[in-house]
Amino acid sequence: MHELSLALEIRSICERELAKLPESQIAALGVSVGAFSGVEVESLQFCLEVVMAERFGGVRCEIELVPGLAACLACGREFRVKRAPFECPDCGAAARGITDGQGLQVSYLEVE
Amino acid sequence: MSAERVSVREKVLSANDLLAAETRGRLESDGIFSLNMISSPGSGKTTLLERTVDMLKPTLRLAVVAGDVQTQNDAERLIRHGIPVAAIETGGGCHLNARQVATSLEALPLAETDLLFIENVGNLVCPSSFDLGESMKVVLMSVTEGEDKPLKYPAAFQRAGVLVLTKVELVPHLRYSTEQAVENARSINPDMVVFSTSCFAGDGLDEWVEWLRARVTERKRSGEGAGS
Repeated sequence: MHELSLALEIRSICERELAKLPESQIAALGVSVGAFSGVEVESLQFCLEVVMAERFGGVRCEIELVPGLAACLACGREFRVKRAPFECPDCGAAARGITDGQGLQVSYLEVE
Repeated sequence: MSAERVSVREKVLSANDLLAAETRGRLESDGIFSLNMISSPGSGKTTLLERTVDMLKPTLRLAVVAGDVQTQNDAERLIRHGIPVAAIETGGGCHLNARQVATSLEALPLAETDLLFIENVGNLVCPSSFDLGESMKVVLMSVTEGEDKPLKYPAAFQRAGVLVLTKVELVPHLRYSTEQAVENARSINPDMVVFSTSCFAGDGLDEWVEWLRARVTERKRSGEGAGS
């Protein structure tokens, strides 16, 4: 729901990075989005293309989806989860919670 | 010209998280226990706070930050209960962020506060992503919303330490299983503390209020320990 403000935040990170690289232009941007980050990927893609183009011209925006991982409460096994409830595929116990796939980060820039 | 890849690895919300960490440090050093209250619109956040304030006001010093998209209705309701309230009108924003909360705290007497409630904007999606610097998140779920809310909005339930079921006096009129709702929540977050409450009939409010009182005492003790 707040993908536009996230896109603007991502653009400020790009501006700060670009300030460290004089005479460079951004060709591409890589963002990793956790499956449980609450971010709607298509909406973020659209917002990013709009706000990046506005400041930097054409920039390839590449979004990588990070799968959700949860840890089993009983046996400790870490397993991939797509949707709730989070039950261990080995023993069926409930997971302690999501251990990966909640983040949202700018992973890289391609500059030229 | 060939493109060169530069690794960045910066969290998009790092600016928010940094500010939230500052707020957390400040609240902790003032010995304040704080809760970020998250739910869908109409689950009963303000009503629960009104009842809670009436029960705790004689013995604890309370304050509220009340967020809404438009209007200051919730803040006005809470002010009538005789406690300091700071209102945040987000003007369309679907969640509170750390900057809004840090700014609104300037208007509250933190040195004379034991327990702070931050009433987030009614929304089960976005607020769960934004750390505000609170001690703990509380998610509310009214019984009319159905048992599967935790499965539909796992992030909010995963990040909250407490679940408050509200409006349980309506259960006899509904096809709703409280057990199923709690089981769904615990399938996502087995460690959740759960309260079943009715602000209308009074069910569960004593337990909720006692739990809050215990957290405040705990916070004061750890503050004294750190100071000595």
